[in-house]
Amino acid sequence: MRLELEHICQRYGEQNLFVIDKLQLISSDAVHLHGPNGVGKSTLMKIMAGLQKPTSGEVRRIPMVGESLLQQAVIYLHQNTYLFDMDVRSNVEYGLRMRREKNPNKVDQALAWAGLEHLQYRQAHLLSGGERQRLALARALVLDPALILLDEPTSNLDTGSVARIEEMLLDLHRRGTGFLLSCHQDNALTKLCNKHWLLDQGKLTIQV
Amino acid sequence: MNDLWTTFSAAIGQLLSGDPELWGIVGVSFSVSVSALLIALLPALTTGFMLAYFRFPGRWAAISVLNSLLAVPTVVVGLVLYMLLSRAGPLGDLNLLFTRPAMIIGQILLCFPLLVAMSLSAFQAADHRVLETAKTLGANPWQAFVTLLFEVRFALLAAVVAAFGRIIAEVGSAMMVGGNILHHTRNITTAIALETGKGEFVQGVALGIVLLVLALVLNVSLGWMQSYSRVLRHGA
Repeated sequence: MRLELEHICQRYGEQNLFVIDKLQLISSDAVHLHGPNGVGKSTLMKIMAGLQKPTSGEVRRIPMVGESLLQQAVIYLHQNTYLFDMDVRSNVEYGLRMRREKNPNKVDQALAWAGLEHLQYRQAHLLSGGERQRLALARALVLDPALILLDEPTSNLDTGSVARIEEMLLDLHRRGTGFLLSCHQDNALTKLCNKHWLLDQGKLTIQV
Repeated sequence: MNDLWTTFSAAIGQLLSGDPELWGIVGVSFSVSVSALLIALLPALTTGFMLAYFRFPGRWAAISVLNSLLAVPTVVVGLVLYMLLSRAGPLGDLNLLFTRPAMIIGQILLCFPLLVAMSLSAFQAADHRVLETAKTLGANPWQAFVTLLFEVRFALLAAVVAAFGRIIAEVGSAMMVGGNILHHTRNITTAIALETGKGEFVQGVALGIVLLVLALVLNVSLGWMQSYSRVLRHGA
């Protein structure tokens, strides 16, 4: 799946937050989006995920040959993951329920992948920061998304948790899911990225 | 003191004896109030949601009117409804005056603003990430709305409990548009007013005990729901 942005302009009141003429992200990409606070990184990611409409411009999802609509999912993960007031397993099942799909094996595999099988019946709000982030990734994994957009996924995580998230992201990428992550500092996750985008002063620059 | 104790004991006796007239009155109260609540619930929740999530001209005026309606005395609601439903009124042809549907309409008018105000505040307090997370995981707008209802369910239950408490205990509207007809529109509060007026306190006290127990149960549930909701939001 290819995500294309064309003539995107985001304004707040009279001020332009950013203007992006053309941008594309494909499932094989691993992109690090960086830039100072308040330049609109989260807004851009939400626009890409279809959660927010830009002031003007177009966002298109272009499927690959033979790709179904379900395989074109673009999932945005908040900086502080929101977990539903359910147990861990029900959180993982959520997306499948929305698709009216029952697949307990897939849920079991996602829980094992995230190392959360032993916590599957625990209320999600009782998880630690690292476990919450792993649950968010497992919740996305069951939907086989084309792209995952991670907003500051390592903020407030210890180095052990960051290493675990790094392994999971690498594995997701091997399975064919592209990702875009926003991070202020360079760390193990940003080293996985093959592209770097800088959003600053209302413009997006692609860096080599 | 002795008289009070005798009346209280007789009232307890009447409650425990399963007196059909007394429990019939309790039944009228519950059937009217539960019906009013069920009819008002979905429109009120939808209105609360729209006011919380959509910006449109007149939104603040609508919120101010709803908040003002919270303070309207039940007897004023009864008076307005009486004038509308009386034979000379614009809705007189419906022949609803002194019927249970008239009492239900009165109670809907009383609980609707409360349900809207409390659900509006529940939706406003809800985490903005709920809808975004639901949508990004593939929920359609209806599924996302149902998810949001689930996430704020304790605050919404508190609204339902508070609204039920308001209408089951109101007397003004029920008396004016119900007419206090035995086996038809006589409910707990109108029966208490009537029995007290006649100087026959036993049935009045028995019905008062039912209301007090109900108030206690509702308040304990309300307190529990609010504290559980706080624990979920901020952790134990």
